[in-house]
Amino acid sequence: MNEHIVKSYDEQLSILKNTIAKMGSLAERQIKDATEAALKQDQGFADAIVGKDDRIDDLEKSIEQQVVNLLTMRQPLAIDLRETVSAMKISSDLERIGDLSKNIAKRSRHLDQNIVDDINKNFSAASVKVQKNVKFVLDAFLNRDAKLAEQVWYADEEIDTLVDICMNSILKCIEKSSDGSGAAACSQMMFMSKNLERIGDHATNIAETVYFLVTGDYLEGDRPKGESDIVSGQ
Amino acid sequence: MSNKIVAKKVSVFYGPKQALFDVDLNVAEKQVTALIGPSGCGKSTFIRCLNRMNDVIDICKVSGNIEIDGKDIYDKSVDVVQLREKVGMVFQKPNPFPKSIYENISYGPTIHGIAKDKTHMDEIVETSLKKAALWDEVKDRLDQPGTGLSGGQQQRLCIARAISINPEVILMDEPCSALDPIATAKIETLIDDLKSSYTIAIVTHSMAQAARVSQHTGFFHLGKLIEFDFTDKIFKNPENQMTQDYITGRFG
Repeated sequence: MNEHIVKSYDEQLSILKNTIAKMGSLAERQIKDATEAALKQDQGFADAIVGKDDRIDDLEKSIEQQVVNLLTMRQPLAIDLRETVSAMKISSDLERIGDLSKNIAKRSRHLDQNIVDDINKNFSAASVKVQKNVKFVLDAFLNRDAKLAEQVWYADEEIDTLVDICMNSILKCIEKSSDGSGAAACSQMMFMSKNLERIGDHATNIAETVYFLVTGDYLEGDRPKGESDIVSGQ
Repeated sequence: MSNKIVAKKVSVFYGPKQALFDVDLNVAEKQVTALIGPSGCGKSTFIRCLNRMNDVIDICKVSGNIEIDGKDIYDKSVDVVQLREKVGMVFQKPNPFPKSIYENISYGPTIHGIAKDKTHMDEIVETSLKKAALWDEVKDRLDQPGTGLSGGQQQRLCIARAISINPEVILMDEPCSALDPIATAKIETLIDDLKSSYTIAIVTHSMAQAARVSQHTGFFHLGKLIEFDFTDKIFKNPENQMTQDYITGRFG
């Protein structure tokens, strides 16, 4: 890409891109850490994760201000316009990813030792896939890679499947416990896995935005969706 | 959507210097077509071909083919005065005649014998000024000189003068470049209104203006038409790298 005649315009756009990158890597980290806190049932770690969410929120505000400044000062067009508008959209998805991760960490504080290995294993598998998608979609953003964005978009179906497996194992656990003792922890787990699924949806949103940013076109067709009614509610 | 103007392989030479190279461009009927590009790219030269304004420059030679409503406007049988009755023009700098506001408008209809009598002429003056959104501001001082108006009013007077002879096409060569934002907004509103009755081609240096007022945009560079498409497409996602560089301010 050629440089702008006005140098400070390039600088503004590059700061914007870097802020997204920073926000993205923090959000990605939060998913990983929240999952770890849940699996290890480490309350102290969970508290630290909850505390870190403010940093992501601050970056979202910064991006919003940068975007408003760019629109006012530069009246961006074509690729610059797509860049500016995309930054705003991606930052709001990342902010949601941050919130959902924080919520996983919060809920993990209410788990007890009763969570069976099977659930943990499935939760971990779903989380790893979610983290992968978030990482890939951020790579797609940084490298302006529409193909990779499209792959992430399609890969969301696998997340739905893994979350479905996880939710079924939680259901089984509730059914098994005759005295209902594990039900409270299991319902927390249920919400936590639903959060993973929603983080996946935000990664899919970002994939669509990146695709639009790079190509100027929209990803066509229905969004990939898991078949299971427990995930989709259909 | 039909094409009012069809230009094919239009080249223009000023003496030995070629200013336009094989330009193919269609102007859609009752829509606004914007022409953009850096200074000296040939956009003004192109629209000046559409009412044969280049004829007045001795060393200027035009080749290729330009048809309006399917008729070759460079054909020997074409009366240039009649052509310009059909294809009006508004220039960068407002250029009212040093006459009264009324006479500025009545001049064209008089020359072309359009008005039947004084009452009819009054009607034409009023309608033209109303269409140009100037009537309310000048109706009580029609006998005063047009040159006494503000820049924005003068430009609207020129637009009123252009539409007084009921043209089919209006060419505008940077009509707002000498105007403040409020006057510009008024002209842009006017362009929006006028396009239901007239075919408009506008040359502008303001990207935002082209994006706001036009449905089609052509980007010229060094005498060539680089890209022509729907305005929406040009400003959101142009095909050509040069177009992209120009509209995003990356032109070296």
